[in-house]
Amino acid sequence: MARVTAADASPSRRRLPAGALRRRQLAASAWLYLIFLAVAAIMAGAFVLAFMASLKVDPLERPFRFHFDQLNPAAWIAAARLGQEGADDALWGGLSPGAKVDFSVTYAAPAGTTIVEPRAEIPRRRPGSGVAAALMRYYAADYASIALKTSSSAMMQVRDETGILQAWQTRTFVYEITYRRDRQNGPRIERTPLNLTAPPSQTLVDSPISPSRAERRGRLLSWDNITPGALGLIFNNYRRVINETADLQTGKSLFGSWLVNSFVIAIGRLLLTLVVASLAGYALARLKFRGSRLLFAALLFSMTIPAQVTFVSNYLIFRDLSLLNTPWAVIVVVVASANVLLMKQFFEGFPREIEEAAIVDGANRFQVFWKIILPNARPALLVNAILAFQGAWNDFFWPLVLITSPPEALTVQVGLLSLRRSFGGAQGDWGLVLAGAFLSVVPVLILFALFQRHIVSTEFTKGIT
Amino acid sequence: MSRTSSEERSGWLFVLPFTISMALFFVYAIVRTAFYSFADYDLFKAPGFVGLSNYAALISDELFLIALRNTIGFSILVTTVQTVLALALAVLVNHAVRARGLVRTVFYLPSIMSSAAMTLIFLWLFQRDGFMTAIVSVVLAYRHHILLFFVGFTALQGVLVLNARRTYEGVSIFDPFFLLIAAIGALALVGACGLAGLLPVFDNHLRISWLNTQRHFLFMPVTLWSVALMNVFTTVPTLMLLFLAGLQSIPSALYDAAEIDGANAFQRFRHITVPALRPVTFAVVTMGIIGTLQMFDQVAILGDAAPLASRVTLAYYVYENAFPAGASSRIGMASAAALVLGILTIAVVYVQKSIGVRERGD
Repeated sequence: MARVTAADASPSRRRLPAGALRRRQLAASAWLYLIFLAVAAIMAGAFVLAFMASLKVDPLERPFRFHFDQLNPAAWIAAARLGQEGADDALWGGLSPGAKVDFSVTYAAPAGTTIVEPRAEIPRRRPGSGVAAALMRYYAADYASIALKTSSSAMMQVRDETGILQAWQTRTFVYEITYRRDRQNGPRIERTPLNLTAPPSQTLVDSPISPSRAERRGRLLSWDNITPGALGLIFNNYRRVINETADLQTGKSLFGSWLVNSFVIAIGRLLLTLVVASLAGYALARLKFRGSRLLFAALLFSMTIPAQVTFVSNYLIFRDLSLLNTPWAVIVVVVASANVLLMKQFFEGFPREIEEAAIVDGANRFQVFWKIILPNARPALLVNAILAFQGAWNDFFWPLVLITSPPEALTVQVGLLSLRRSFGGAQGDWGLVLAGAFLSVVPVLILFALFQRHIVSTEFTKGIT
Repeated sequence: MSRTSSEERSGWLFVLPFTISMALFFVYAIVRTAFYSFADYDLFKAPGFVGLSNYAALISDELFLIALRNTIGFSILVTTVQTVLALALAVLVNHAVRARGLVRTVFYLPSIMSSAAMTLIFLWLFQRDGFMTAIVSVVLAYRHHILLFFVGFTALQGVLVLNARRTYEGVSIFDPFFLLIAAIGALALVGACGLAGLLPVFDNHLRISWLNTQRHFLFMPVTLWSVALMNVFTTVPTLMLLFLAGLQSIPSALYDAAEIDGANAFQRFRHITVPALRPVTFAVVTMGIIGTLQMFDQVAILGDAAPLASRVTLAYYVYENAFPAGASSRIGMASAAALVLGILTIAVVYVQKSIGVRERGD
């Protein structure tokens, strides 16, 4: 707050009373927290929004709704009931032999118009796109039948555009979806789609779960799955990203094997980094040997040179060893300079006296390192392990260059690129893309949650610089 | 055996794995890249020496010049903006004492996410009729509301301050208490006018091409501006934490002393905070330069969602020449461009370092 210069202050004016000054202090900190809240909201908001969108049937819908089935506990309960009735599975739903599902819909219309029974059918719809459709073998249409069980009439109050209450009539139709008796040996079907066609004069006002989309100006309402189960409703896109990115020949989930590959590579990189970095870090910090300064200079230099400068040669090395498209290439290729630097800094702050004593007692360097240094270096090793795992998991460039085929050999980050290529266009299936992005973050998020106290420490910040 | 020679030997044994990895995957690789930059090579036939013709081809390749311009523009823009924002945010958080613990956790999240996942989320935000477009559309629809708010806010604040200055001394134009009252008053004004139907709402069905466009804004393609926004968004929290650590190591007695001596908030910032943070700033700027000059992941994931010329950076140009889609590799060109990128990085870091050292000498 700018102070007033002497020229401004005329003797006739008084200073602000103490109460007013206190108010000003409070207001200043109110502003501080408001701005802070706004920044935090923007930062976290983007992720929250994207996560919400990743649950939606259509993440690109406009206007963006904040209230939809996937966030509505009433719909979760209904979905759990439907899943229970469909396949005895309240969580993931489905339709199995012996299923008997009640699905009730309520239509409303102004007084005077008759509400007719909608035409109901279980369509032969292929879910999703591309590979998923090709892999689909069993259709609910072949195994399920739908029939009207009961219908009942009632009245409801509706407020029209001018705000006047009107009495509308409503009719509730209860449909029963059964697994056909003559096909009792059939398979469990993952999804039960439903189409309802009704004249535009009547509108749907209630159903256990909302229709996935409306077509032909609201005449045709269609549900992708009326037996979803609670998790099947909420995390439909997440289930799809696992199931629908499948290999055409084997039918195995590509996303699943991408996750496994990334995990193998990250663990491998972690172990290798710990060995290389602790040995080299100790030697650079403690031991005098010719060439150590040169090596340290090379270390610093290598941290400024982008990977694009070295990748052609490294690609050729692994090609000549026939190690392309294997995890080994990606594990070995990275020079762990930053990790060595971190270990070196740690060992420099480590008291010398203990080692000196051990050496006087006749231990050799390696024994000292193994028995005394390493057990005491656990915090630094932990930080290094986390950094190495996270770096390997999030690495995009090296897997992109060194692993190109077959599709199931990719890592999850490069897999995200192929997800975007197949589904991420202007009319794309963004639910799949976003769900894939969030799924790929889960391991690092777990790591972060487990070791948060160690990560959010000055040592870690030092490691980044 | 003397002690020094045994130390020498175990030293070499200890660094052996690291030295092998460094020699093979870094030193040898750079030498080979330098060699290929003077050769004609497609990964299969034996390389043939062609002198400087790769470099000549680079300079006459329009895409290379575009990539170079894009990279430099992007690097300067993002490094500047993220450093300034991170510092501002750190100062803010440093004052908001009660929220610090929460901040440290929340603000780490963007930095642990992979660039691939981040880019996908931003691609979704930046779709033609995506969320970013919706925000712009709402701002345009309510432009009269927003205008009225700011006019009302300024006017109210002016009136309040001038009125108070008649009786009291030491009332700043930005008096926080009056600002709060003026904001609430202006909000009430807008709300009242909106409810009374005095303010029109402009319906629009905007579609903005944030990514898939050839348009330029100032010195950079619009696509890269969008990527820059994303990059700033991801890096600011991490850099903010670095600044925050630096800020917390400044003894508060310095500020108290300066306040007693009559230094105002800006003077305190300029003469205490900025000099004390110089080492951190140097680290942040260096990291920023290195990170932005080699920006690759975001561009690769954008892929065919944007035209090549609007998104190409040097790092991507190198990759694109080494593994072009549906053509044979131009390793010579790729290597020459890679060397340009490496030398550019070193040069900028070196220049920045020497400036930093000189300033520290003051």
